[in-house]
Amino acid sequence: MGRLDDRVIIVTGGAAGIGRAYIEGFVAEGAKVVVADINGEGASVAAAEVEAGGGEALAVTVDVSDPGQTEAMVKATIDRFGRIDGLVNNAAIAIRVKHVNAPVEELPIEEWDRVIAVNLRGPFLCCRAVLPHMKNRGYGKIINIASGTFFKGTPFISNYVASKGGVIGLTRTLAREAGKSGITVNCIAPGLTASETEEMPASHYETRVPDRAIKRVEVPEDLVGAAIFFMSKDSDFMTGQSIIIDGGVAIN
Amino acid sequence: MSRLDGRVIIVTGGGQGIGRAFALGFAKEGAKVAIADINGPAAESVAAEIGEAGGEALAVVTDVSSEESTKEMAAAVIERWGRIDGLMNNAAFFQRPQITNGPIEEIPVDEWDRVMAVNLKGPFLCCRAVIGQMKEQKYGKIVNISSGTVFSGRSILHYVASKGGVTAFTRVLAKQSGDWNITVNSIAPGLTASDPDKDEAIYEGRVAARSIPRVEEPEDLVGAGIFLMSSESDFMTGQTMVVDGGAVMH
Repeated sequence: MGRLDDRVIIVTGGAAGIGRAYIEGFVAEGAKVVVADINGEGASVAAAEVEAGGGEALAVTVDVSDPGQTEAMVKATIDRFGRIDGLVNNAAIAIRVKHVNAPVEELPIEEWDRVIAVNLRGPFLCCRAVLPHMKNRGYGKIINIASGTFFKGTPFISNYVASKGGVIGLTRTLAREAGKSGITVNCIAPGLTASETEEMPASHYETRVPDRAIKRVEVPEDLVGAAIFFMSKDSDFMTGQSIIIDGGVAIN
Repeated sequence: MSRLDGRVIIVTGGGQGIGRAFALGFAKEGAKVAIADINGPAAESVAAEIGEAGGEALAVVTDVSSEESTKEMAAAVIERWGRIDGLMNNAAFFQRPQITNGPIEEIPVDEWDRVMAVNLKGPFLCCRAVIGQMKEQKYGKIVNISSGTVFSGRSILHYVASKGGVTAFTRVLAKQSGDWNITVNSIAPGLTASDPDKDEAIYEGRVAARSIPRVEEPEDLVGAGIFLMSSESDFMTGQTMVVDGGAVMH
């Protein structure tokens, strides 16, 4: 008996990296999962691996910044599983990947728009698509992924940090709007996490270690317990909150 | 296999209310629980309840504001089980009939001192008493009970000030303890229906401000307590989790 038995959970950006770790954690606790990713092939591989292990998974190709696609993602989930219990808004243009580092006055405007479109408009669109269904059922669990950088004000990635601050704002307002429908909305703010999607040398992650209370590299598995907590009934009276999991650098 | 199998956890103020709910919840997840309470019979009763359900528990009469008493508490737990994995600093002074809810000039100075002695010096002394054992084990989980009122500013002055101190204390101790894999975090509850003798209207009064509009029960906090006592939170430290139905947002 798992803590997420029969819960149907969508994880955006679920094909690889941190999203993939959430998928594996949820499946181990009995959830049925939707691997939603812009990389459709990666999503199919991840879903097939879940099913090979005896779990239930659906792969959906989705660009979270496109409203038609987020609605199609929800429809595909309902068609397959008949319900949606949870949504993890994990898809994002990550820090320092395909990403321009520049002071505000030099940051290309199109880079600002591109990051906000995926990292902030994306969660908005995904929430917008699942909410009518969750409200109808009178229950739902939403996790948004913010970032420790919001609390630190990390320089030269203003678009990324602003998008993640916006995610915290979205979390709070949506929590107040949806609480009476039995829906909780919370945020996990990771530190820099060593995930294969970043394609960075290992030494890159080591640079963050001295700042931490717990002095080691952060790995995707460090975040899974919190995600299971927020997807389970254990967190049914907690909403609108943000927890930082970064080994004790930023404080909230 | 449960999430707290074999862990030895001390819950101060574990003889009643929220502390009792944590103690029962930890025991259900496989922990051995020390019920440390100033009220001995209450501690014995919760320990017996855990024993009857097939768990292991120890009742320890503890005044958290006394250094000697907290040292005896730690010694008793080590003597019984040989280790201390978790400490929940839950004991606190918050009894409306006994605490002055009024403007600053009407709060008796000795009452300020008493609230600080239990609510802030208490966690300091309890952490001080167990941290040596945790450092030796190179592992430990400390959970302090703060309060949503720290973020709303809407409650009794000295009580809120003591809980703000708890949140600050959590942050510093976390930064200082990571090298031994000791995590230190806080849970900040809203006003919780933990006292059956209290007028229900007091609890109902908080409902309107919440995203989830209902009275908070001790059981609402247990999941967060288990998470912070389990290996699932091993890379999370220095943080405060508000569990109040979404009244304040942190």
